[in-house]
Amino acid sequence: MMDMTPLQISERGFAIGQPILELNEISLRFGGVKALTSISFDVRQHEVRAIIGPNGAGKSSMLNVINGIYRPQEGSINYQGKPLANMTPTRAARMGISRTFQNIALFKGMSVLDNLMAGRYLRTHAGFLEVALQLPRARREENENREAVEEIIEFLEIEHIRKTPVARLPYGLQKRVELGRALAAEPKILLLDEPMAGMNIEEKQDMCRFILDVNDHYGTTVVLIEHDMGVVMDISDRVVVLDYGKKIGDGTPNEVRSNQDVIDAYLGVAH
Amino acid sequence: MVIDNVETDTFSKFLIHHSKTRGEHPAIREKSRGIWRTTTWRGLADEAGSLACALHAKGLQRGGHVAFVGDNRPRLYVAMCATHWLGAVTVPLYRDATAKEMLSPIQSAEVTHIFAEDQEQVDKLLEILPQCPSIRFIVYDKDRGMRHYKQPQVISYEELLRQGREAEPLKRDFLQAEINRGAGQDVASVFFTADETGLAKGVVLTHSALISRARAAASVDDLNDADVALAYLPPAWIGQNLFSYVQPMIVGYCVCCPESAETMLADLREIGPTYFLAPPRVLESIVTQASIRMEGASGWRRGLYKSSMAMARWLGPRILSGEGVFIGFRPFYALGNLLVYAPLRGVLGMSRVRVAYTFGENVSPKVFMFFRSIGINLKQLYGSAESGFFVAMQRNGEVKPDTVGKPVEGVEVKFTPECEILVRSPGLFREYHNDTQATALAIRDGWLHTGDAGYLDDDGHLRVVDRLQNVGALHDGTLFTPKPLENRIKASPYIAEAVVFGDGRDTVCALIDIDAAAIGNWADKKNISYTGHADLASRDEVYALVADEIAKMSAQLASDPVLANAQVRRFVILHKELDPEDGMLTHMGAVRRDVVSKRYKALVEAMYEGHSSVNIDAETSDFIIRDVPTLTPMQSKRAA
Amino acid sequence: MLDFQFFIEVLVGGLLSGLMYSLVALGFVLIYKASGVFNFAQGAMVFFAVLSFVGFMELGLPFWGALPVTVVLMVIVGMATERFVLRPLVNQNENTLLMATIGLAFVIEGVAQMVWGVDVRRLDLGIKDEPISWLADKTGVFVSQLDITAGVVAGVMVAALGLLFSRTKVGRGLRAVADDPAAALSIGIPLKHIWMLVWAAAGVVALVAGMLWGARSGVQFALVLLALKALPVLIIGGFTSVPGVIVAGLIVGGSEKLAEVYIGPSFGGGIEGWFPYMLAVLFLLIRPEGLFGEKIIRRV
Repeated sequence: MMDMTPLQISERGFAIGQPILELNEISLRFGGVKALTSISFDVRQHEVRAIIGPNGAGKSSMLNVINGIYRPQEGSINYQGKPLANMTPTRAARMGISRTFQNIALFKGMSVLDNLMAGRYLRTHAGFLEVALQLPRARREENENREAVEEIIEFLEIEHIRKTPVARLPYGLQKRVELGRALAAEPKILLLDEPMAGMNIEEKQDMCRFILDVNDHYGTTVVLIEHDMGVVMDISDRVVVLDYGKKIGDGTPNEVRSNQDVIDAYLGVAH
Repeated sequence: MVIDNVETDTFSKFLIHHSKTRGEHPAIREKSRGIWRTTTWRGLADEAGSLACALHAKGLQRGGHVAFVGDNRPRLYVAMCATHWLGAVTVPLYRDATAKEMLSPIQSAEVTHIFAEDQEQVDKLLEILPQCPSIRFIVYDKDRGMRHYKQPQVISYEELLRQGREAEPLKRDFLQAEINRGAGQDVASVFFTADETGLAKGVVLTHSALISRARAAASVDDLNDADVALAYLPPAWIGQNLFSYVQPMIVGYCVCCPESAETMLADLREIGPTYFLAPPRVLESIVTQASIRMEGASGWRRGLYKSSMAMARWLGPRILSGEGVFIGFRPFYALGNLLVYAPLRGVLGMSRVRVAYTFGENVSPKVFMFFRSIGINLKQLYGSAESGFFVAMQRNGEVKPDTVGKPVEGVEVKFTPECEILVRSPGLFREYHNDTQATALAIRDGWLHTGDAGYLDDDGHLRVVDRLQNVGALHDGTLFTPKPLENRIKASPYIAEAVVFGDGRDTVCALIDIDAAAIGNWADKKNISYTGHADLASRDEVYALVADEIAKMSAQLASDPVLANAQVRRFVILHKELDPEDGMLTHMGAVRRDVVSKRYKALVEAMYEGHSSVNIDAETSDFIIRDVPTLTPMQSKRAA
Repeated sequence: MLDFQFFIEVLVGGLLSGLMYSLVALGFVLIYKASGVFNFAQGAMVFFAVLSFVGFMELGLPFWGALPVTVVLMVIVGMATERFVLRPLVNQNENTLLMATIGLAFVIEGVAQMVWGVDVRRLDLGIKDEPISWLADKTGVFVSQLDITAGVVAGVMVAALGLLFSRTKVGRGLRAVADDPAAALSIGIPLKHIWMLVWAAAGVVALVAGMLWGARSGVQFALVLLALKALPVLIIGGFTSVPGVIVAGLIVGGSEKLAEVYIGPSFGGGIEGWFPYMLAVLFLLIRPEGLFGEKIIRRV
């Protein structure tokens, strides 16, 4: 077991708590190819947890396991203290796990607002007749959803593109909208798949600021994947390092930086 | 519906008056989270009263100074009301100013309380806090990211208001007494304006000075409480302050705050203001946007637009001024209005604009007439913070593109032998804050020396030529006034700014700052690939385009024998746009001539020395210098 | 005056049948929106649905008994199609899916005829195909009761589906699924449920369309060809737009009848058969995305 002392002394909106997600001895194979080999780590409530590693290290597979897209052949996952089995993406969403994708998966034909409203899918309950007859619940629900979405629009500073179809937006803004859609579901855990990929410096800084603000303001636990180490080290509380599907390091950014395996496998190669 | 009441000599008295007479009317509207939210006059007065209680409890003294750093938000204006309620002085600062730039105003005015919009502003203030012992409280509006600030000086607006609301019931008599204590001669505001050299001076204005000017201006256009204005320019600038604080106080109209700078245009369309203020730079960018859009339109649409606009230039201004237009032409203008002008006004958010103003001395006649020709009643005014802003204004039906109109009621104008404009008016500022020397230089025998050169024309309209210090002559004696030349050049949609030189020289040369958006669009169409601003700015094609644009302007000058020699002969395109952050522009986007000419001295000298390119430092690539073909008066006549 | 009444008669008749085209086309739109497939089997489903309905009635079920039974049957057929034909083909390219639906069409047609026989049947909904007398008395315009009923039923159906897919949770889910399935999953939209629901809805739509057409022109194999009639409607209206197919249905219905009556004689008649296709080709040239179809935006 890892020690349970508070990791950060600096003040933040929500103190880092108990593990919310625990992965035990996870192994994932595609046919004969091993993607992940007995990987264990945990994610604590309200922390920013990064999974890093060179390309092909198994980062995305790891995220897809948490998200329920892949089912590991071995190992178990505990979420909020309870074992999880038969995960599917829909079930993950219901349990408060939202995600973004490396190659932006937005509803391209819809406006920014509609994309975020779609993110409220699980928070919509009114049935066909209620909507058709505009019964109070349907109306109230619509207003609540709109209010929640508007709060996120303000939070992410995208008021000016509210009505713009997302396909017309530049890449950096699309990434931000995708983050917004994930937030609209009011998730407990936010999975970010290379949120900074393909961005210029300024966009990266903005994205970092938003990730930290989300964590600080809403207390959302963040799990993010990156291969760009520099940025991650600045915003993460703890970092897991993967290489060839194996865990080679785990700890605070400083610990990871001084870990010889990591330096050999990752830093040595990349820099 | 101007309130002419001897009793109402301070803003607080006006506020109470409105709260009593039109309590449920909207005073401020703000778009927030997608919805327009309204503060009524009663709501404004109530909140300001409570806030005043809290500010008093936090030690704000009568005559103390309160600074404001933020965008146009209802809370900013509530806080101004509360400040004036207690007889304190508002000191609005530019939100894009650096911490260093904020230091001197805060120190010199001994600001005790500051209203800051968000974390970004608070951070800047905390950075200079150690150098500003006078600061007692920093009040922030938006709480995002502010959770961890534990400094005793930092307090949220919400918390302050909560304390005020708690205390208010017991303090009613005190609040009433505070209002009664105020008098018109009290100082209302200090506006810090930077002169040409970039040095900040605090312009001190009293309640009565501001109120008198706002009253006079309101009567020119018959402003009433049904009017609507949009607050989108920095509140630290006296013009915005007059339009969104002073005039609404006098007239009782409603001010709308857009959601953010990026949504300004969309919000403008939704609100449809009736009273509008726009600096020339904003107008220029609107015209550029419109022309970029039309360039992208399909053939027949562009044709329709071009022909309609040609007709509009010819008929529009005359129809707007109520001059006689041959009855047979009217149906054509009406058709153009239906197909082009009305939709265009709609797109620009100006469908309901009854009166709009811009500054005469900086606007190019072409840009100015664009708006008038499509039926927007844009007019020019002249004034500064020192002169109470409203010195001269164009009246309906008396609009000439090259004058700023007649002096406003109460204003006297006279001229020195050097043509400097002197102003005497009830709206004059009292003094430069803590600077008796500068004050004595500016106001002599009750007359404000504006530093502008100008004259009254035969109809009694004021014509402003340029800053006096810029007026000079070429070697051959040709009068040289840069501003009118620059205004003509930047009327081109491709040119953002121009700075011309010629005083004491043989010829006129220009530094050109291109409009990157318009030229980028042009380059895309021509299939010219480029990597960025600097690359674009050094392209031969772009040089040819700009030379062409300047030559067009020269052709107009050439027909005038006196000015023929003032045609631009050579120019350089700057690699980087002029930026307020480099001090090249003021916060309102006007060029700081001195700073620019100092920075690019080597370029200017190279132009006069006849080089074809020059390198001013090792890090940047060479600047290219190009000649512009010029015409003699003879040629120009023949061409005509 | 008489000419004008006649014109109105033709136009109203055309618009009403147009609404029924819309109804058939709507079945296509549903499937296309949800899974990006042009469902060739829609015509076969129409045929199968109404044939089963008539079959149940022949077996002795009353009208109100046969209706729910057939609805249930069509829901099952729809869901089964999704589960056993399309889902295994997820992530295959569009051509594969298209071929699958063509195959499916043959299977459904075959099964229908195997079970219920090949005879042409009459469907009596108890509504007379006679002019509404009071309308004829008042205005002199002759419009069939059956046409009006069919038009109203189709109209209500179209409106209800329109509402379902634009304003409700399912509708939003459907749009999201159509746009990006992976993203839809990630925000908790149950892809499979949505698909099943859509296929079930398509089955019910097919039943209603089949009953209306069957009552008019008999329950016969030719109903399969309705799918072809829906094609111009889809092209004009756009494959993804519910309001689009409504308007397009009205345009096709109204214009083909008018064309048949007024300019048909100069072509020797039979213009009704090809006029809608000509119109569709015209639209393809001018507005390839259809009247209300979403403009295809691609960032370069």
